[in-house]
Amino acid sequence: MTLWMRLDARVCSLGRTITKNIEYTSRVLLMVYLSIRAAILDQAQGLRTVFSVISAQIYFTGWQAVPLVSVMALATGSVLVLQSMANLSLLGGTQMIGNFLIVMIVREAGPLLVALVVVARSGTAVASEVGNMRANREIEALESMGINPLSFIVFPRVIGGVISVLCLAFIFNVVALLGGFAITRFLQDMPFSFYLESLARGFAKEDFFIFLAKNGFSGMIIFVVCCYQGLLVKKARMRCHR
Amino acid sequence: MGVFPNIESIKFEGLNFTHEGHDPILKNTDFDFPMNEIVWIKGIEGQGKSTLLQILAGLEMPQSGLLYFNDVNVLELTFEEFLPYRLAMGYTFDYGGLISNRTIFDNLILPLSYHKVLPDKEAKDRVNEIINIFDIKKFSDERPAHIPGRVRKLACLLRALVMRPQLLLMDDPSVGLGQDTLHTFVDYIHNLRKEGFIKHIFMSSYDEKYMNLFSYQIVHIDGGQLYLQRVDQEKRVVHL
Repeated sequence: MTLWMRLDARVCSLGRTITKNIEYTSRVLLMVYLSIRAAILDQAQGLRTVFSVISAQIYFTGWQAVPLVSVMALATGSVLVLQSMANLSLLGGTQMIGNFLIVMIVREAGPLLVALVVVARSGTAVASEVGNMRANREIEALESMGINPLSFIVFPRVIGGVISVLCLAFIFNVVALLGGFAITRFLQDMPFSFYLESLARGFAKEDFFIFLAKNGFSGMIIFVVCCYQGLLVKKARMRCHR
Repeated sequence: MGVFPNIESIKFEGLNFTHEGHDPILKNTDFDFPMNEIVWIKGIEGQGKSTLLQILAGLEMPQSGLLYFNDVNVLELTFEEFLPYRLAMGYTFDYGGLISNRTIFDNLILPLSYHKVLPDKEAKDRVNEIINIFDIKKFSDERPAHIPGRVRKLACLLRALVMRPQLLLMDDPSVGLGQDTLHTFVDYIHNLRKEGFIKHIFMSSYDEKYMNLFSYQIVHIDGGQLYLQRVDQEKRVVHL
């Protein structure tokens, strides 16, 4: 094989990878659009039906994950509070502890760790649930009853998932910032009022928008991709076309 | 929910359908389905009986051609535009199809309550009536995974009937039902037809004994084409 042919093969393979990824992303985005459209156009689907699925999703993804997220938040919060106090007091910048923790916990560690927990616990559950529904012909059954699977299955799961991630991230931040301080109380002698004041000073309104954007977006990506992967399941292996 | 359209004719024009990597199921097929009849769709395994029923139910999309319901090419309709036709149809699966995280009662009432076809109380009464006729009351609060296969299959059949459809599409309905249930089911269908609810029934089956409980016409599917075989009910030979 000449050098030119090898280069040509590499370029072709690169092109294929890029177009495949673009195609995948556009299919996922199309599913999001169709789900929202179906949810708006589906006049039969009452709010009661949507809320029941959303609340079930919030229960499984949000409520059941609260203990795990709280423990992780306590551990992360304690380590970061201790580390930052030790290092900042060496540098004489103890009053900056609020800014530092807001950046570390609210902007960085919170969204990342919550997303990891949600992907591992609920993302996989949603993907396998929807995949099983597909293989079990429940999706076809819904269609045959005139129920749009995108508005009945995908839309409420994504909305429920996003709400859960936002709530879990809020709990993570509160537990990490306050619980972390409480746990390390006997290892440091910073007054609580000083700590709270520093946090309040460090919290800007951009942090609120960053919190919403990062967590909302990660929640949406997790549940949209998981629903899409679930719907990709074509048919059960044992099924022959008849 | 508004009034459903009357399904008066179903027609294929140049319809093509192939499952990816398999032989074509329909090859440029033109066919006018007999209406107001019980139609037995016959064919050897793999010829596409189930797929044909799924195409009629709007669950599979042909690659090309036209599918007319009352002179409307339904292949051009969106999910929402096709909905009135769907609600005038009932489709039953050969296996599976029950929603696994709902009880049998919830599965049966789902199409009625979702589309608000009946007020809550009447919907519950209708479902309870069917449950009592088929004597499955003790399973009504169970989920599909916890009930016998016979009841699962029956529930799937009954869910298509609670809407009292004009067009009933059944894929191998007799499999796994048991003799007593089968006869109750056939009686129930005959009653619904007598009351004027189900006008057209298309079903695939290998069970000749079961099919002999009906007065049917036959549509053969073979080599991608459909052929109508008129059956004179008086001259029909019934093998017992």
